Amino acid sequence: MTWVILGAVLAAAAVVLVALPFLREPHADDDRLDAPTAGEARLRELVEERDRALAALKELEFDHRTGKIADEDYRQLLTPLRQAAAGALRALDADRARYGPGVHDLEPEPAPVPEPAPPPDEGTPPTPAPVPEPYPPPDEGTPPREPLVPEQGPQE
Amino acid sequence: MADLGRAALVVSFGLALYALVAGGLGAYAGRRRLATSARNALLACFGSTLVASAVLATALLRHDFSFVYVASHTNRTLPTAYALSAFWGGQEGSLLLWLLVLTGYGALAVVANRRLLRDVIPWVVPVLGGIATFFSFVLVAVASPFQTQTAPVDGAGLTPSLQNPYMMAHPPLLYLGYVGLSIPFAFAAGALLSGRTDERWIVATRRWTLAAWTFLGFGQLLGAHWAYTEVGWGGYYAWDPVENAALMPWLAATAFLHSVMIQERKGMLKVWNMVLVALAFELSVFGTFLTRSGVVNSIHSFAKSSIGGWFLAFVVISSLFSLALILRRLPLLKARTKLESALSREAAFLYNNLLLVALCLTVLWGVLFPIVTQLVKGESRTMGRPYYDFFLRAFGLPLLLLMGIGPLIAWRKTSVRSLVRTLAWPIAASAVAGAALVAVGAGSSSPGLIAYTFSAFVLGTIAVEVVKGTRATGSLALLIARNRRRYGGYIVHAAVVLLAIGIAGSSAYSTTREQKLLPGQTASVAGYHLTYLRTDEIQNDPNRTGQYAVLRVGGRWHGTLRTGQVTYTGFQETDEDVGIKTDWLRAQDLYVIANFQQSSQAVYFKILVKPLVNLIWVAGFVFVLGSLVALWPDAREQRRLAARFAPAHA
Repeated sequence: MTWVILGAVLAAAAVVLVALPFLREPHADDDRLDAPTAGEARLRELVEERDRALAALKELEFDHRTGKIADEDYRQLLTPLRQAAAGALRALDADRARYGPGVHDLEPEPAPVPEPAPPPDEGTPPTPAPVPEPYPPPDEGTPPREPLVPEQGPQE
Repeated sequence: MADLGRAALVVSFGLALYALVAGGLGAYAGRRRLATSARNALLACFGSTLVASAVLATALLRHDFSFVYVASHTNRTLPTAYALSAFWGGQEGSLLLWLLVLTGYGALAVVANRRLLRDVIPWVVPVLGGIATFFSFVLVAVASPFQTQTAPVDGAGLTPSLQNPYMMAHPPLLYLGYVGLSIPFAFAAGALLSGRTDERWIVATRRWTLAAWTFLGFGQLLGAHWAYTEVGWGGYYAWDPVENAALMPWLAATAFLHSVMIQERKGMLKVWNMVLVALAFELSVFGTFLTRSGVVNSIHSFAKSSIGGWFLAFVVISSLFSLALILRRLPLLKARTKLESALSREAAFLYNNLLLVALCLTVLWGVLFPIVTQLVKGESRTMGRPYYDFFLRAFGLPLLLLMGIGPLIAWRKTSVRSLVRTLAWPIAASAVAGAALVAVGAGSSSPGLIAYTFSAFVLGTIAVEVVKGTRATGSLALLIARNRRRYGGYIVHAAVVLLAIGIAGSSAYSTTREQKLLPGQTASVAGYHLTYLRTDEIQNDPNRTGQYAVLRVGGRWHGTLRTGQVTYTGFQETDEDVGIKTDWLRAQDLYVIANFQQSSQAVYFKILVKPLVNLIWVAGFVFVLGSLVALWPDAREQRRLAARFAPAHA
């Protein structure tokens, strides 16, 4: 009998927990689910685009520094990646202007960037233009920062 | 007490069903309180399942034979630890463990991601609720661990092969792996249902997938070690259907862990990743179907019953649900970019995925073949070891090679010249290793030689990658600390290399001899001289009877070795208790099995010398180390993600 009573208590406790949202707010003014607006969803997409573009730039730099990619390929790939990053940043700026503050404004200010060391094997980097922090590799590294990206690609 | 267990399971079923129905309605209609209520039901479901599990554990520890389950799987002489491990030694208990882990994982995942995925979680809850509904239904209506009877004086005992320390860890680890794959599946389905297929579900489930994959991988290695020490045939993996049932979802999850990196970096392979997540989940449930249905013959089929049909129905329904969902959301899963070059990191990942999935499907075909032939021809035919070995070599060796090449290729594209220059050192290392192996006589087995050479190549590439990365960053510790996933992954690759060397060494270069010995006689095998001294009977052990042969070993190692045959109380069959001496210096095992003859003093011994087999077990620990490095929380990454996914309207 004791076990049956304990079972009933368990069932009652479960019912209370399940009913809790309705017990707390019997007449909720706003019972809608907290869903992002179309603007917020677009903003998230743009932030993802920006991070992906910046990460690709950092990855390219690291691959070049570790000798996985030749100078020629590096120069060839750098321009479209920078343009993609610039495009993503411009799109975010435009979105910021249209919708006001968003996720990009909540990001912490980037710390001062240490001057990257010259690549170990490749001699002088092919471009002096500021590029994203070359290390750590971009997959898990520091928060992507917004580099000084030239509008028309790097000055070679 | 059984009443409480039954009540708790009924409550679990009710709560899971509520999470499914109310959660689905709440998410569909956008009703906040209903969705929160469904989430609470999922949390409460874990609580009530925990109560049911506590009841069963208590009954097992108290030897309460009024529980049919306890009487069927334990007896009074069973040591306490094994009595507790009987929780998962039978069908009903293992299903309860599945539900417990599922609801525990689910509750934790939903609570942990309530902010990051606040718009997706309402859809995740009904998916998890649906899975929990199925398992709780089976436990309530089909296979309850709380059936009672008039208590007999003693129980039937635990299956002898389960009375092994490995069996206390191997099944729970596999369950943590199998069930863990439900979480990425539920989140992927939630993302599809909600139409929010951005990167967040991947970020949210990354560690869950990695943890489940680690549990599944390590659990399989523990199982292999159990087979090696307990089953007593000299091997560790027999391509048994139930072993394959754990391997298949692991292979699918391995493919997913690689291909998801392409989605994160390039926005590609979204459909493929959804398919892999669903495949890994379905295969994990299918594994349970195989274990429990009895449709295939397996040394692991401890409990065959009628629940197989229910599982098959669940696999079919959930597969159709996944397929329909992916097809419905195809427009949201379009790739953002294209593959730029066939010689790029992403292309290497793609090749790796194709090989992994091909291997997984070949194993699946091997498992299904007896069922198909039974249905078509009316007689069951099984795929033998040569079938699996052929495809393991056909797909496994290129995979091993790719594991070395892939990390050295740049993203987007690499020129052949760069690649050749980068690979020069690893190629040289593998050539030297190959030549040295031929010189010492390892050329007798071509697959073994290829595996060793490829392994040397992969280790060379890992070394090159670490050295170059350290030179670029200035510190190895910094390099690993800031790139845990990548370098944790390389440690796992090193573990796979150890595994390959261990498998190749122990299968291609082992020595076997069978010999009948009388007391005082000696057999010599691969530098070991074994003299059979005497036979000892097991005495004063209420749980088992049997005898052990005592051998004096000379030659490469000096000492005594015991190997015997044991019969457990209440069971007829005899179990081998293998004598193993590990020589860590040579990384090889001396492995002896005894077969006693009635009415004769002679004993038939099977003596094996297995080189490098221990690297397989070492690989298990390296594998876990690599996974832990990859799993370890990175505060900088957490801050970055928190900033990226902060609520836009906060």
